Amino acid sequence: MKKSKKVMGLVLSVLFFIGLVLTGCSNQSSESSSGKSSGKSNTPQEITYASTSKVVGLSPIMTNDSVSANVITQIYETLFVKDPDTMEIKPNLAESYENPDPKTWVIHLRKNIKFTDGTPFNAEAVKYTFDKLRDPKTGAPRASLLAAVDTITVKDDYTVVIKTKQPYGPMLAALAHYNSSIVSPTADKKQDLMKKPVGTGPFMLKEWVAGDHITLVKNPNYWKGAPKLDKVTFKVVPDVNTAISMLQTGDVDFLDGIPAEQWSRVQGMAGVKTLKKTGTPVSYLGFNVRHKPFSELKFRQAIAYAIDRDAYVKQLNGLGTKSNSIIGPKVFGYDPSAEKVGYEYNPEKAKQILKENGWEGMTIHMLVANTPGYMKMGEIVQDQLKKVGLKVDMQTMEWGTFLDVSKQDKFDITFLGWSNSTADGSELLYPNLHSDNIGASNVTAYNNPEFDKLVNESRFTVDQKVRKKKLDEANKMAIKDAPWIVMNHGVVTLAYRDNVKGLNIDPTGEWSLYPVYKE
Amino acid sequence: MFAMIIRRMVQLVFLLIGITFIVFMAMHIAPGDPASIIGGPTATKTDIIQIRERLGLDRPIIIQYLDYLNGLLHGDLGISFQTNRSVAEEIWIRLPNTVNLAVASVIVSILIGIPLGIISALKRNSWLDVFSTTVSLGGISVPHFWLGAIFILIFAVHLKWLPVGGLHAPFWTPQGFKEIILPAITLGTGSAAMTARMTRSAMLEIIRADFVRTARAKGVKERAVIWVHCLRNAMIPVVTVIGLNFGGLLGGTIITEQVFAINGVGRLMIESISARDFPMVQGGVLLIATIFVVINLLVDIVYALIDPRINYD
Repeated sequence: MKKSKKVMGLVLSVLFFIGLVLTGCSNQSSESSSGKSSGKSNTPQEITYASTSKVVGLSPIMTNDSVSANVITQIYETLFVKDPDTMEIKPNLAESYENPDPKTWVIHLRKNIKFTDGTPFNAEAVKYTFDKLRDPKTGAPRASLLAAVDTITVKDDYTVVIKTKQPYGPMLAALAHYNSSIVSPTADKKQDLMKKPVGTGPFMLKEWVAGDHITLVKNPNYWKGAPKLDKVTFKVVPDVNTAISMLQTGDVDFLDGIPAEQWSRVQGMAGVKTLKKTGTPVSYLGFNVRHKPFSELKFRQAIAYAIDRDAYVKQLNGLGTKSNSIIGPKVFGYDPSAEKVGYEYNPEKAKQILKENGWEGMTIHMLVANTPGYMKMGEIVQDQLKKVGLKVDMQTMEWGTFLDVSKQDKFDITFLGWSNSTADGSELLYPNLHSDNIGASNVTAYNNPEFDKLVNESRFTVDQKVRKKKLDEANKMAIKDAPWIVMNHGVVTLAYRDNVKGLNIDPTGEWSLYPVYKE
Repeated sequence: MFAMIIRRMVQLVFLLIGITFIVFMAMHIAPGDPASIIGGPTATKTDIIQIRERLGLDRPIIIQYLDYLNGLLHGDLGISFQTNRSVAEEIWIRLPNTVNLAVASVIVSILIGIPLGIISALKRNSWLDVFSTTVSLGGISVPHFWLGAIFILIFAVHLKWLPVGGLHAPFWTPQGFKEIILPAITLGTGSAAMTARMTRSAMLEIIRADFVRTARAKGVKERAVIWVHCLRNAMIPVVTVIGLNFGGLLGGTIITEQVFAINGVGRLMIESISARDFPMVQGGVLLIATIFVVINLLVDIVYALIDPRINYD
């Protein structure tokens, strides 16, 4: 009798846990339509967005992360902007510009614009902002954006003249980058813009609980007309599963950067819409060309032949595209003919090259940052290289350590990405593959004087046609030379409640809430 | 007792100075450079050098430490590398959330753990005992992130009874209560299980003690035997476990804070370690260490209150 009761107790507890698991699992697949009512005309014009990490600060001069950028781009504006669909650079706070000579940029500014603290927007404000960004004492993370600039002068209230040391091709792309947003000089002298931002944009800061949320309200005097949204909340939800659950219940109105493994869950949700676009980010496998035999083209070709990138891209669930080109389709300097230049999957050829050169059975030291995306890349490539007879010793490490180690000479191959936030090919090839940047952003230490020359030519001319041609040539040279093997080009994503209208994302992943409203 | 408290306080000061030294050196020696993280992969060599100068990282390490210690003595925990805010302010914003969560989950663990342990001990080897020990074992083994995610799916997404995440009010207010339920249960389950097992074994030991047999022989009512004679004596190890758990909870709420989007100190620490935000990590560790040591002191004081035989003088 007693024994049977004991068994009953055991069975009961096992059932308790099984019940817990099953309820959880069954809920995972069941999609409930829910959330706030939609379609009513009196819907509050308030929207909530969630990011997985916190906003570091709200000064465009002192930050360099995409989460802070999301808020900064709603508060501040740049002289030029990229069209989210065509990527064409158009004047914004600037009205027009001219190049009287290749080293001079005369920029005419729009009149009657004020910062939200009442300070007038003028040539002084532009000069102040750019000088502060460039000043070594500021220690701005993206000071290099304006490294080509020699002097900035105020010609009159609404004309600013930028002189560069050499003709500088990517100037407009640099001025359209969020780090070149114009700040209110009065406010910057008085307060820390990291905490109390003041720009000319459609929204202003109302409340900030550090690490938890930021609330913006509309700027009623915005020069293009007040935005439709009254209030915007940026929440921090570190766990992406939780963020998606919040989207499902309507606690959050939209999310971006959905991970590939969550894409099908989001797509299947009732009341939620998704948007995806080919983006500018590129992910690559990089060889440390300081090491032998990675310095030999034949070896790099063998690896390129050994990697089945179609199989890799397939598991990204549509959130990545395969391409041979280093400069992606949405980046200035891309030409479709670059796709034909690279090396396609051919394991037999890879084995043959390895055999002919006595590289069979060699051990490769692979360095991988321990974020889910790179880990996956590393595991798939490790497996594929094993199939052609190479041994791979994979070392994974946390991001901060990885950044340090990857800049030293301590790996054979590694994986990295580049977001291409200026969407300009020179800004991709110069930092990553030009010999000037070995030991910093050029982690592969690729050093090819011919390539350097082409990249320099693309940078030091303001003729956009010449720039495009030089970039295309440099791109094809690097694809053939293979210091990088492009794993995939990124896809930018948005998921939003179906009553949110007017939301768009540009290929660099930026979005503006100015045209957005709720139904 | 009073002398003991003074003695412990003096020890505390030296202990904390030692901790600052270890944490400071560990952070500076560990691989990873705050400037290259702030600069990101796009930074050029010049960018990184300028950021290092701005943060004062170009100075000799011992000068940096003495500078930090000097600040500490003046009550200044420093400025965060990342956000440019004062470390004290950053911690102060988040501390109430973490304390809220830790207190609520200790309450959960006491409410579940102690009754479960008592029942188990009294009905030893019955089906109730098997049920409660198995549940305890499960509670210890189940990872928090999993339990949290399952709770969110059931009670927030599917049944819509409770919010998915966030904590914006103290737990005794209606909004705060709704927000804290799932995180507190998620976090409290592990320590409830531990408390239950500890209560059970302590009770079993006491029940067999001579003085309990004497009490029963004197004709004391069974209820009084359990509550007055057994439970009070069984509480000493239990209080130790709860106290240590509470200290652990203050530093160990990280996963629960992640899953339930609670803006707490644990999350701040993880973010700061990843960003190599030295002043923030040093400030956070110092705070957690202080709390831990103070709680241990309180536990010792509670011992003396529970058991008059314990005399620290």
